[in-house]
Amino acid sequence: MSFQQKNITVSLVNFTLILGFFLFRVIQMTQSDSFTSANIFRLWGIIIGLAIVVTIIGTILTHIVSAIIEAIRTGKEDPKIEDFEDERDQLIDLRGTRVTYTVSSIGVFLSMLAFVLDQPPLVLFTLLIFFGLVAQIVGDISRLVLYRRGF
Amino acid sequence: MDKRQVRNNIRKLRFHHNEMTQEQLAEKVGVTRQTIIAMEQEKYSPSLELAFRIAIVFGVPLEEVFSYDAEAKKTN
Repeated sequence: MSFQQKNITVSLVNFTLILGFFLFRVIQMTQSDSFTSANIFRLWGIIIGLAIVVTIIGTILTHIVSAIIEAIRTGKEDPKIEDFEDERDQLIDLRGTRVTYTVSSIGVFLSMLAFVLDQPPLVLFTLLIFFGLVAQIVGDISRLVLYRRGF
Repeated sequence: MDKRQVRNNIRKLRFHHNEMTQEQLAEKVGVTRQTIIAMEQEKYSPSLELAFRIAIVFGVPLEEVFSYDAEAKKTN
């Protein structure tokens, strides 16, 4: 498994956990009748903050763990990690980004449908962040599939 | 089944160049070892620039490394 694949796997796990946390909080809110705009926007902030922090920490940890594994494998004190992106990595990343944008666009459209179905704006905002997280997860899965297939 | 049209002799050429490792070739042409593996398995067709860099490393013309099989996709 290359460094890029490890990085994507970490991102996939992180975003799946964040999505789980988001769904848990939303279900909790609906059950306790605290599904209010203040709570939903606070949750938005938490989710965006978590996504940024967890992504940064995940990348740093992947670097450190990769270096440790490589040091054990090669016996060198300063092992070389192939952490640069070559043309294949960039093409896979572009394709993954396209999948993310496609899912995200469909998600925005579906969220708009909430208005058509006479739902309050809060539902729209909840669906927007839900589809944002799902789009990231689907994009990461597509990147991993492309790495598995070769391209 | 998807059949690739671009074929290559990278594995054979590595063998004839003092059994050059995939890692050594990757370092010389500036890509990751995973990309060399994908190319050898004909799962990935490189860009023209990378194809030329590989040919230069082996000191042979481009057509000795890569060939184009126009019939490959028609057989699907």
